[in-house]
Amino acid sequence: MSELLVVRDLETQFKVRAGRLHAVNGVSFNLRQGEMLGVVGESGCGKSVTMMSLIRLLPPSASITNGTVMLEGLDLVKANKEQINAVRGSKIAMIFQDPMTSLNPFLKIGIQLSEGLMYHRKMGKKEAYERCAQYLDLVGISNSRQRLEEYPHQLSGGMRQRVMIAMALVCEPKIIIADEPTTALDVTIQAQIVELVKELRDKLDASIIWITHDLSLLAGMVDRILVMYAGCIVEEACLRDLYKDPRHPYTIGLLESIPRIKDHENRRLKSIPGQPPNLLEKPTSCLFASRCTFKTKRCEREVPSLASVPGDVEGSSHRIACWVDTRGRQ
Amino acid sequence: MGRYVLNRILRWIPSVFFILLVVYALVFFGAGDPIKLIFLKAPGDVAYDEARIEAIREAAGLNRPFLIQFGDYMLHIMRGDFGNSLVSGRSVNEMIKAAVPVTFSLGLAAIAIIAVIGTILGAIAALNQNTWIDNLIVGFAQFTWGIPVFVAGPLIIVFLVLVLKMDVPFGWAGFFSPKIIVPLIVMGLNPMAIIIRQARAGVLEVLSEDYIRTARSKGLPTKTLVIRHILRPVLTPVVSQTGLLVIGALNNSILIEKVFGLPGLGWLTENAITRSDYPVILAIVFIFSFVVMTSNLLVDISYPLLDPRAASKKKGED
Amino acid sequence: MVIETKKKAIDEEKQYSLFRDAMHRLMANRLALLGLIVVFLVILIAIIGPFITPYDFLSQDLNYRNKPPSIQHWFGTDDLGRDVLSRVIYGARTAVIVAFSVTILSYLIGIVLGSLAGYLGGKVDSFVVWLIDVFMSIPSLLLVIVINVSIKPVLVNWMDAKFLETHNQFFRNTTWVDFAIVFGSLALIKWPKAARIIRGQILSIKNKNYVLAAQAIGVPTSKIIRRYIIPNSIGPFIVSISSTLGEAMVLESSFSFLGVGVKPPIPSWGNMISDGLRVWQVYPHILAAPAIVLAIVTISFSFLGDGLNDALNPRQWK
Repeated sequence: MSELLVVRDLETQFKVRAGRLHAVNGVSFNLRQGEMLGVVGESGCGKSVTMMSLIRLLPPSASITNGTVMLEGLDLVKANKEQINAVRGSKIAMIFQDPMTSLNPFLKIGIQLSEGLMYHRKMGKKEAYERCAQYLDLVGISNSRQRLEEYPHQLSGGMRQRVMIAMALVCEPKIIIADEPTTALDVTIQAQIVELVKELRDKLDASIIWITHDLSLLAGMVDRILVMYAGCIVEEACLRDLYKDPRHPYTIGLLESIPRIKDHENRRLKSIPGQPPNLLEKPTSCLFASRCTFKTKRCEREVPSLASVPGDVEGSSHRIACWVDTRGRQ
Repeated sequence: MGRYVLNRILRWIPSVFFILLVVYALVFFGAGDPIKLIFLKAPGDVAYDEARIEAIREAAGLNRPFLIQFGDYMLHIMRGDFGNSLVSGRSVNEMIKAAVPVTFSLGLAAIAIIAVIGTILGAIAALNQNTWIDNLIVGFAQFTWGIPVFVAGPLIIVFLVLVLKMDVPFGWAGFFSPKIIVPLIVMGLNPMAIIIRQARAGVLEVLSEDYIRTARSKGLPTKTLVIRHILRPVLTPVVSQTGLLVIGALNNSILIEKVFGLPGLGWLTENAITRSDYPVILAIVFIFSFVVMTSNLLVDISYPLLDPRAASKKKGED
Repeated sequence: MVIETKKKAIDEEKQYSLFRDAMHRLMANRLALLGLIVVFLVILIAIIGPFITPYDFLSQDLNYRNKPPSIQHWFGTDDLGRDVLSRVIYGARTAVIVAFSVTILSYLIGIVLGSLAGYLGGKVDSFVVWLIDVFMSIPSLLLVIVINVSIKPVLVNWMDAKFLETHNQFFRNTTWVDFAIVFGSLALIKWPKAARIIRGQILSIKNKNYVLAAQAIGVPTSKIIRRYIIPNSIGPFIVSISSTLGEAMVLESSFSFLGVGVKPPIPSWGNMISDGLRVWQVYPHILAAPAIVLAIVTISFSFLGDGLNDALNPRQWK
């Protein structure tokens, strides 16, 4: 299992009226072949922007100001238009959050599903439609051939999301980025989609990046988790380590704030005090410091970098960006 | 779908009827006596023989009640007979038959050309938003939208003739003669600005939609993206805007035909006004209303064809 | 997401009221600024016009007919020896008076009908919408023509009769009738637009969540109108008023051009252009002066209107 994607020091900024918004501040991580990576963080922490920066899917006001994204020997940050287009949809595919608006209402499902296939794999229409029908079956949509001739508004939200998933799969990409694919759906449909993805994961050879703000969703699904805050990765660990031994104060706060069924009736819901920071300036200190119960002087002066947790073997897979050793202090 | 069309047509008939009724009434009750007008040229003239005038009126059926006269007129129209000109005595049908091709060919050509060119320019502007291309196109649109045809027309004529020393582009030499180029351009200026603006706004709006982001994420080439994903949603507002252009084109035809000396419906209208030729006026009102209503109808029908979501709603109505 | 952080950051930094923000944006738009200046100039000239004209716009000097521009006559003279510059200046007055009166009149009608439709909804709304549709289907030129042909003679006859009755000089002057008809018909053409805007605003705001929320906590209706509806409608309102002003000006000159608006000897840029069309090949200045001035003014309105629209209805974060 080799490193498929290597991201180093990625920085993305938005031009806004009040100046520049530093949405992604030095993100580095690897993605292995066949691995499923969860990315979790609150709204506005930059998780979507980070992943969309991988394929440079940004609005005109945004630009990648630093960093490299290496995929199969090509730096996606510096690639030209043709190269990036060859990667999009074909090597890296995306599934978006809102299925109601992410499909073009003016085009039939068949066209939207097959166009990537016809362009990237140079398939003829008949062959492409065959393949699309197969994938519709795979994601659990009945009457697949008929569906190809229908329009998006004729399908329910859950079905549309399945179509989106099929659309991402159809070119058999190496990496699939799912940006909060279940957030806009009912809980029951959410469960179905999660089950579907788990099934597919076993069948496909692709790596999956699953972005969500709901930490509890990732349990039982992903291999590793990245916790993001204010445009940085604050903790990186395999699933077990994150839930059993969280080290970063933010992760600890997140886990504590999840309401549990076994909770005492009168127990107040725990939340993390304070507000997310203003991202108009480049960070010069730990951005979580103002809300952190463990903060020290150093936290307010230096930006912590991602490093192995204290007490672990050097080069281990559990890393945090923190100056404080939170063991035993919880 | 058929029922939808039928429904629309059924609503169209009373509207045309209503307009005709109002105009006929205005002319009937307002302007006064066509016979008197023939004989009496200035206010304050006294009819030299009241009795004679009365006799003529009686013979022409002008003393019958309003509704009967109106009904009679409608019957004639349905048979396609618009009566005779008060001034020349010629059949109004003939006059109109001669004039219609001029106005319609010019108008239709102008609208068709503008719709296509305008949409393309608007799309180009939107896709290059805030660059010099965008500013140029938008500035051009603002400029041409401002100038009325009867100002642009003469100014262009003056420029062409006095400065470029070309021939005066006056008169009608058939649709396929070069003389039509200048009137065509002048006619197209205002509407083009509107279409450019509409297309640009439409494309900008579509660009910010999620489904465009999805399409981009699939790595499709720009050409496919623009033509398949962006232009199709924009067609709906552009087509409906084009429909609205028809009214403006009719208005402008009256002005342009005066400026360029083209013997079309507009020119007919102007003549009819100055000489109070009511049958001609009424016939022209009817034709204009008919054209406007028909184009509205066509635009309405086009919605379900262009927008799949509307198509389902219509089927639901059935 | 990122947008919420963005917004919060900006809110914390500065408090922009809608007005100050809009003014900022408007001032930054050079074309719109240019338009604004020209429009102000025109209004100014309209007010002080008769005091600065070198000659009276009516006075004829038959020794000086059709003279090209010179030191004594900056724009030359027309075929009755009248100073063209003075007539152009007075034309500004005509244009402004008509434009403002028509706008006010049509907005009065529009506000009443639009509000009734918006507030009461149901049958009243359907009726008003139908009325708006019918009016908008009538080519404006046609409407004015028909009114001119039908109602004007009635009014003139009435005035004549009154004059014979009372010997009051007032009834001798038919220019009042001309103006009244021009105002009336233009208002009839423009009111649907005003009504539509008002109705649209009321409807969209009535259903906005923040209004429903305010009602839910018991805010009285008058306060809702004052605090929510009016500030949110002002933007589109201002834009549509400015564009109506410009359009009314164009309409007036079109009608005067055709001879159904303001008639000579009262100068309107429209009828001056029409006069100029007859002799432009020999005396181009008679055509060029009013045409160029009208072109500049209408283009300025166009720029100003667009600038106001961008300033008050921002859609894109730059």
